[in-house]
Amino acid sequence: MPPQRIVSLAPAMTETLFALGVEERVAGVTDFCDYPPAALNKSRIGGAVNPNFEQIVALQPDLVLAQALTLNRRETVDALERLGLAVYATSASTVEGVLESTRRVGELAGAGERGERLVTQLRERLGKLKQRLEGRTPRRVLFVVWHEPLISVGRETFLGDALRLAGAESVVETKQEWPRLSLEEVVRQQPDFLVFASAHEQSVEKTLAELKERPGWRDLEAMSHHRVAIVSDAINRPAPRLVEAIEQLARQLHPGAFEEKDETRDSKPPLRPLSSAAAKARNVGAGSHR
Amino acid sequence: MRRLTFRRVLWVCTLQAVVLMAAVVVALKLGAVPISVTDLVFSLGRVAIGHDSELPSQFQVIVFGLRLPRIILAIFVGAALSVAGAGFQALLRNPLADPYVLGVSSGAALGAILSLIFAPEIPLVTPAAAFAGAALTIAAVYFLGRREGQLDGSTLLLGGIVMASFLSAVIMFLMTTLPGREQRGMSFWLMGDLSTPLPEEIGWVFAVGLAVGIGAIYSTAADLNLMLGGENEAVHLGVNAKRVKLVVYVAASVLTGLAVSVSGAIGYVGLLVPHALRWLVGSDYRILIPASALGGAIAVVLADTLARTIAAPTELPVGAMTAMAGAPVFIYLLRRSMR
Repeated sequence: MPPQRIVSLAPAMTETLFALGVEERVAGVTDFCDYPPAALNKSRIGGAVNPNFEQIVALQPDLVLAQALTLNRRETVDALERLGLAVYATSASTVEGVLESTRRVGELAGAGERGERLVTQLRERLGKLKQRLEGRTPRRVLFVVWHEPLISVGRETFLGDALRLAGAESVVETKQEWPRLSLEEVVRQQPDFLVFASAHEQSVEKTLAELKERPGWRDLEAMSHHRVAIVSDAINRPAPRLVEAIEQLARQLHPGAFEEKDETRDSKPPLRPLSSAAAKARNVGAGSHR
Repeated sequence: MRRLTFRRVLWVCTLQAVVLMAAVVVALKLGAVPISVTDLVFSLGRVAIGHDSELPSQFQVIVFGLRLPRIILAIFVGAALSVAGAGFQALLRNPLADPYVLGVSSGAALGAILSLIFAPEIPLVTPAAAFAGAALTIAAVYFLGRREGQLDGSTLLLGGIVMASFLSAVIMFLMTTLPGREQRGMSFWLMGDLSTPLPEEIGWVFAVGLAVGIGAIYSTAADLNLMLGGENEAVHLGVNAKRVKLVVYVAASVLTGLAVSVSGAIGYVGLLVPHALRWLVGSDYRILIPASALGGAIAVVLADTLARTIAAPTELPVGAMTAMAGAPVFIYLLRRSMR
C-alpha cells in the first residue's frame, strides 16, 4: 500500500506532491509551503530549517520528504530517522536531477505512472525549448538572489543549470552555491541582462527604481537599457514548476526565438521594455500546473 | 554574610528542586501537540509502575521520546552554564564574566563550522568537533592567561577576549564559504538552540561531564570563599590558590564546552543566574554553586518551553528567549541592588 500520510519538509517537495496528484495524502507541510494555494490549508510543521518534531510525530507520517542538498539540515533528517520515521531526502544539483527526483518521489508516493508522465512531459518541453534556442548566443546574465549585499548563484547548482537551459550564462564563475559578489566585478563584466526572481514583480520594480539611482548599479548597461528579466520565484524551487520558470526566462532573454515567423534569427533582437516582460511574468505565475 | 548551615543549603536546594519539578511538569504538558493534564498524570503513573508499553505509541514518542529528552538536555545545559558562569566570575573577579567571555563558544562554533566544511557526512561529528574546538581554545587561552607561572585574572580576561574576537573573525570569514543550507543551520546554532533531538549516548557523556565539572568546582568552594577576601590573604590561610584557579578554570571551561557543543551559545544564563542567586542566597560558594546549578536548570527549562510554544508549531531559538527575558531582569536586579 502506498504511503497514506506524507509530511513534506520543503516547499519544493510540497509542490511536487501536489503536481503528482497525491495532495489528499499530504498530512503536513512547512510554514513556507505557499504553492499551490491549497497547500496553505494543510497542517503546519514549522520551518524547513527548524521543523517541529512533535508536530511531525503527531501527524503519524508513513513518509517524510526532505530536500537535502539545498534546504533541510542533515541533523534534522538524522533525528527523524532515529525516531523511526521513513525519510526520503532528494538532492538535485541539476535540472535533470530535479526531474529524476520528481519521478522517484512519484514512485515512493504511489503515483509512479503519473510521475513518469509528468517527467516525460517536462522533458519534452525542455527539448522543445532547446530546439528553439539552438544557435543563439547565450545571454550573459547576473542572477540577483539578493541585492544588498549582492548575492548570486554558482554554476554547480540546479539554478545555475536552469539558467543554462534558459539560454543564459551566469557572469559569476565560482564553485560556491550562493556567492557574495562585489559590484565592481559586475560593472566590469557588464552582464547583458539582470535576472530577478520574485512572486511579486511590483516589489522588484520598486527595488529597481531604487537601485537605478545608486552608483555602481546605475553604471550597468543592463540597468540603463531596461534589460531586466523577472521570473516567478518557482525558479528557486527544485520542483516541476521549475521548467515553467525556465521557459518564462527564455522568453524574456530570447524573444526572437519565440516569434514563429522570425526567419532572420537575429542574434540581437529588439529588446522589450521591462513593463512587457513583467506582464509576461504575471501570466506565467498562474500558469498550468497540473 | 549570613551564617551558612547545612540546613540552609538543604532548604534552599529542596525549594529549588520543587520549582524545577514543577517547571518540568509544565514543560512536559506544553508543546505544539496538546496533551491534557489527566493524560499526562496517567501516563507518568503508568511509566512509574513500569507499564509504559500500554501507552499509545505516538503519545509515548512525543512525551518520552521528544519532550522529556529535550527537557533533560535543557536541565543539563542550564546547570552547566550557570555553574560555569559562577566559576568564571570568581576566577576572573569580574561580575561581567559569563561562560563565553574567554572565547570558548567561538572556539566551539569554529570547530562545528570546520566539521561542516570538511566532514559533513560523518554522524555526530559536529558536536564532537565543537567540543574539540572548545578544548583547544581553553588550552590556548590558558597559555595566554598565565603570568609568573600561574593564572592571572586580568591577563586571562584580556587574552580570552582577544581570542574570542579573533575566532569570531575567522568564523565570519568561513561562513561566507558555507553553502546556504549550512549557513542557515549554523546561524541557528550560534544563537543557541535545543530543538534537534540528540542521540542518547551524547546525553550520557554530558551527564558524566556535568557531574565531574560541577563536583570539581564545588570541591573548591571553601577556598573560593577565602579568595573572595583577597588572594594573598587566602594564601596565608593555607589555600593553594594556583591549584584552585586551575581547577575552576578547567572545570568551568569543560562545562561551557559541553553546553555549547550540544546547544550552541545560549546567552545570559551564565551571567544572570549566579548574580540573581547571589542576591537571593548570598555569595558563599558552598551554597551558590548548587543553587546556581538548579537555578540555571529552571531558567533554561522555562526559556525553552517558551521557545517551543510561543509561536508553535514554529520553533524559536532558546537563545533569543533567554536574551530577551534576561536583559530586563538583569537591569532590574542591578538597579535594585544599587538602592
